[in-house]
Amino acid sequence: MNDISSRHWRPRRPAPLGVAEARRAEFLFGDLHWRAERLVEAAFASEGLHARALPTATRQDLMTGRELADIGQCCPTSFTTGNLANFLRGEAERIGADAVRDRYVFLSVGSCGACRFGQYHQSYELALRNLGLDGFRMLLLAQDRVDQSAGEDAFHLPLSLVLGALWGVLCAEVVQGLEYRTRPYEVVPGATNRAVRESIDLLAEAFRNRPRRGRKWGSLLWHVATPYFLDALRQARARFDAVEVDRLRPRPVVMITGEFYLHTVEGEPNYNMHRWLEAEGAEVHPASIAVWIDYLIRFAIQEAEDRRAALPRAGLRIAAARGLQRLLRFSFDRMRRALNDVPHGMPRQEEIRRLAAPYFHHRMSGGEGDMLIGKAIWAHRHRHAHMVCELSPYACMPNTMSIGAMARVLGDHPDMLYAPIEVKGDAEVHALSRCQMILTEAKKRAAAEFDQALAESGLTLEEARARVAEDPALRRATWRVPHLGRAGAGANLLLHLAGRREGA
Amino acid sequence: MKCAAAHFGELMFGLKRKVDVLFVPLIYSLPSVLRGHAVDSLACPRVMAGPEMARAGFLREKDLFAEAGIRYVAPFVTFAEPALLPRQLHEALEGMLPGLTPAETEAAVAAGLAALERFDAGLRRRSREVLARAAAADSPVILVLARPYHMDPGIGHEIENDLQARGYPILWGQHLPTDADLMDWLFGEEVAAGLVRSPFDISDVWPSSYSANTNEILWGAKVAARLPWITGVVRLTSYECGMDQPTFTPVQGIVEHSGTLFFSFQELDATKPAGSVKIRVETIAHYLERASPGIIARKRALLPAACPLTPATAQPAEL
Repeated sequence: MNDISSRHWRPRRPAPLGVAEARRAEFLFGDLHWRAERLVEAAFASEGLHARALPTATRQDLMTGRELADIGQCCPTSFTTGNLANFLRGEAERIGADAVRDRYVFLSVGSCGACRFGQYHQSYELALRNLGLDGFRMLLLAQDRVDQSAGEDAFHLPLSLVLGALWGVLCAEVVQGLEYRTRPYEVVPGATNRAVRESIDLLAEAFRNRPRRGRKWGSLLWHVATPYFLDALRQARARFDAVEVDRLRPRPVVMITGEFYLHTVEGEPNYNMHRWLEAEGAEVHPASIAVWIDYLIRFAIQEAEDRRAALPRAGLRIAAARGLQRLLRFSFDRMRRALNDVPHGMPRQEEIRRLAAPYFHHRMSGGEGDMLIGKAIWAHRHRHAHMVCELSPYACMPNTMSIGAMARVLGDHPDMLYAPIEVKGDAEVHALSRCQMILTEAKKRAAAEFDQALAESGLTLEEARARVAEDPALRRATWRVPHLGRAGAGANLLLHLAGRREGA
Repeated sequence: MKCAAAHFGELMFGLKRKVDVLFVPLIYSLPSVLRGHAVDSLACPRVMAGPEMARAGFLREKDLFAEAGIRYVAPFVTFAEPALLPRQLHEALEGMLPGLTPAETEAAVAAGLAALERFDAGLRRRSREVLARAAAADSPVILVLARPYHMDPGIGHEIENDLQARGYPILWGQHLPTDADLMDWLFGEEVAAGLVRSPFDISDVWPSSYSANTNEILWGAKVAARLPWITGVVRLTSYECGMDQPTFTPVQGIVEHSGTLFFSFQELDATKPAGSVKIRVETIAHYLERASPGIIARKRALLPAACPLTPATAQPAEL
């Protein structure tokens, strides 16, 4: 007690990670969908580093998270805490606790304003202490830096790796977009899953063999300008070319929004919502990580604009952030184009903000802010979905607020089909039953939309089928159905067959 | 949040005298003694956006504000950046107060902030007086670590009053003294050893220091762990408070590691659990009476001999 350094309680801080140690270590990460995780692993490999995505969290992880960390956590914290704890516990039993400390390093997000998302590491630390693994190394990613002590030997993620990982996430996302627009209409069951697996395999190979073009600005220029990833995506497209689809089956389009972890992950943490919706006959419009990144940049611009007078070089910062936004959109659109523009595009953040403005202030931070409201209205107004399913964690502070504000949106848009699903992780029947109630309406609406389009087209269903049969391109998964003001792919296809064109 | 929504209804429909303007600022950030020492000074996401949620309920089917002849004004305000306040408030208020100029708004903001500072300084001074009396008599003091709203008797259930009635002076973490001499006495050795950058640095126990009130609770726990005469800490948290949840273990760890007694009232809700509070208060009083002399002696022995709280050396100086 008399030693000043140990007199007071402080959590044990792990030793900083040196460059040589980083080369030997295995970086653990998670919280994305499997496609993105595979490509992020490959991006690490291309830098000579080992990375491993944690297995998708399970119900057992939820229970472990609740058991090991403080009471009252939001559900994503319980899932991810338990997920890390169970993985490390298993490894500690296999190779010993000291070997686990030496071998693994966990990468975690450490900033999200006042929301607990940025404080997950507190739960991880507590859980690991309770497991006897205190001192385990965690690196906090604070959007623009790794929070660990400085020093000549301290390891920092090189920009080339960050860019590789980001490009991996974007490439995975466009493949995911194509996948979700294909599977509900596939003629041969399983063909889409096969195409996705092969696509991700070949993309992972491309990321592993990614050429090194400098560590900083050279790498940025190369990533933005290179056709390297587009070539890989075109090869992926060829896998999807072989998937035959029948889009003349009306399907309700369900847009997934909500809290980042729950809307991104595919598995038990969100009751396998994506798979369940497809099994119920829906086409899923998955949530986009690219849109979330775009939102974060927009938020930074807003802050800088409000503090323009006090912020040094505010104009330059704003211009740089706008430039980043443009680069993100440019790169994402190039990737979509490589897949014939079938994956969903990014809505403009200016429009999202404008649509949400009457209901939610754009400067509210934590979680997804005004974006959830803006996206729901955007999808409804522009008919990008029949229904919005918002996955909101139990006890999520910011999400509760935006869902509350949606009450007024529904007052102004009574025809919007909106299903806010509170996810506790262990109340699946209740959540799915709630979703099913709204989905039933969405199905009716998709069927009515299809019938109306059929009537407008002047065709019978048999005639429409015959037209599609005549043109092999229309049966290809990679043929882009023009968006002709209908949410459903089938309705838009019918109008296309009748000669309607986009913008006409 | 539940209180805010109910408060809207009370103001609109429950008052005899009609309300003309419902002024509900969206408080993004808060003034804090830790500003500049922590990563940020943000309000809780629910405090920030709560008014948007409550408003939605009054507009969903029809504009109940308009029906009641009430103007709803909800400016976005950043108390942690006072330079931005005049513009934020002027934009919101100029429609409500015709002829209001930016200069008048700026002067009003300056007057308001000065009043807040005076109020704050007064309470910190009185807290120091309480501590000085405790130091002179080597008697115990209780520190309450809670959110500001727990000072509302309907939310905090006046638990601290029951303890005060048993003769224990009560301090709140929000109004602990921050005088340089006292801070140096408590934290000087740790600053000199490079363990923290300043007495207000909490990065050693709480690196994600984004939230103003959370930061102050953590800092209050650090002060309690060092100040000899704080022999007991009472922690209050309300039902489902997401901001408090990750702090439970660190706060308890900081306090208990120093040998200071720690008592937690969690999941407080609208109903006052009077029976259990009475039993807990009796328990707390029992342990304080028994353990305080030892706690004071042990903690006092770890600090430099010259104490700024004793009359001979007490020379308060604002930081």
